Amino acid sequence: MLSKKISALLCCLSLLSLPLVHANAENPLNVFACEPEWAALATQLGGDRLSIYSATNAKQDPHHIQARPSLIAKARQAELLICTGAELEIGWLPILLRKAGNGNIMPGQPGHFSAADHVQLLEQATILDRSKGDMHAAGNPHFHLDPYRIKQIALSLSQTLSNIDPAHRSHYQQQLALFTQRLDSQISIWEARAKSLQGKLIVVHHDSWIYLEKWLKLDKVATLEAKLGIPPSSAHLSQVLEKMRATPADFIIHTDYQNDRAARWLSEKTNIPVISLSSSVANDEDIFQWFDRLINALLETTP
Amino acid sequence: MIIETFDISILAPAFIAGLLVLLTHVPLGQEVLKRGIIFIDLAIAQIAGLGVIAAASLTGEAHGWAAQTIAMFSALIGAWLLSLMEKKWPQQQEALIGVTFVLAATASILLLANHPQGGESLKDLLVGQILWVTWPQLVLPALLSLVVFGVWLKFNSPTAFYPLFAVSVTVSVQLVGIYLVFASLIIPALATISLKGWKALFVGFSFGATGYALGLLLSAMFDLPSGAVIVWSLATTCLAGGHFIKTQLLKLPV
Repeated sequence: MLSKKISALLCCLSLLSLPLVHANAENPLNVFACEPEWAALATQLGGDRLSIYSATNAKQDPHHIQARPSLIAKARQAELLICTGAELEIGWLPILLRKAGNGNIMPGQPGHFSAADHVQLLEQATILDRSKGDMHAAGNPHFHLDPYRIKQIALSLSQTLSNIDPAHRSHYQQQLALFTQRLDSQISIWEARAKSLQGKLIVVHHDSWIYLEKWLKLDKVATLEAKLGIPPSSAHLSQVLEKMRATPADFIIHTDYQNDRAARWLSEKTNIPVISLSSSVANDEDIFQWFDRLINALLETTP
Repeated sequence: MIIETFDISILAPAFIAGLLVLLTHVPLGQEVLKRGIIFIDLAIAQIAGLGVIAAASLTGEAHGWAAQTIAMFSALIGAWLLSLMEKKWPQQQEALIGVTFVLAATASILLLANHPQGGESLKDLLVGQILWVTWPQLVLPALLSLVVFGVWLKFNSPTAFYPLFAVSVTVSVQLVGIYLVFASLIIPALATISLKGWKALFVGFSFGATGYALGLLLSAMFDLPSGAVIVWSLATTCLAGGHFIKTQLLKLPV
């Protein structure tokens, strides 16, 4: 009786899998973005020509991901995949691509866009550096926090869109022109607003903010957790604490998807304020609003 | 509800992986329950992981076949130690298993503290997710599971139990992850605790398979992480099934 139940379940399972509609020329281009910042950038560059799915949201750690059926289904339908690269998604993207078996988005194909291939990365490891710590060998992958690099990536991504979907080349070119124009003017507004932040001393939870630091000329004086996921040693923490008591930093930056215990611990002992920053674009905002939000958060807490 | 994710080619390998795990875990789970050593699977899985991490910090790399061999070897040694403990301190066995688990888990943290890359990837090396399973990955587990199942049926003894258990847990943790291994081991065994022999096995398999099928369907319908949904559907199916056995099946003349 029970095995009948099972076969009945399997039966409806197979029936439901049949009606998969394939995209025709007028249907939007299916885009699979690994992180919300690339989904947001694609929205700017493609507008309603694209149907975009983001594998993670701003509240999730893109290093890790739980396997959901929709992930594989979306990777199968995708005509373009946009990911960070530089080993950020190494824990799950290769497995997902193998499982999806979609020739369009395999590495090396025109539909596989790895943003790291189009910008210069900071902290690229040499053999000497590697012994020092946990960095990604390819370089620090959190470069979406630098609007200049976003602009470079936008140029390449727009080209990729035109290559994959040549019928709408002029649409993509037009969108790109609008986006870069707006980005340029926003960058000067942001930089003017953030002038007072220059030279501020900051402590970070983990080195995921170096591009923002470099852009806004913040001065990082300590890192709480050098190796992600490995709790810092007591020697390291007391070193940081001593340093902060001698020359207090202006604020502690904490990534909002991470646990804030280490940041709160230091803050309670030193009275340095903690700023929680979103490392990516939320569902209900665009890429400009997200940068606005970052700069607002920094300015609000700055003494 | 996202209908397009009902793709049989996504869900079928996961379902078969579940059946393979059940094949060894239902009989071994009934034994685990009989002996009252519920957390032995967590300890064995942790020791297998520790072996791989230790090898990687000594040699720098541990992947593929080398990692698998080391994992299996460590699990077997761990199982052998646990069986010695059973002989020597039968009264404290469950407590000793618990201590072994925390020691193995924290030893991994200590080893990784000095690992150049912090060992993010090493930590996940031995923890699978059921939805990532592909057909080629099922070949070796299928062979091993059949062998373990056959050997267990033939030599149902304490000497056979520990090595067989070590092999099954090491294989299945990499396929479906630790939560599902624990659930597949304990939940069907709990539901069939009042049954014996082939009847217990068959009913345990059926409950387990229904739980996996239902869990995969629900995870596709509501687009939720499959492993976690299956744990819940296994528990609900087996709760309902266990109740059915108690109220209906045991009343029937055998």
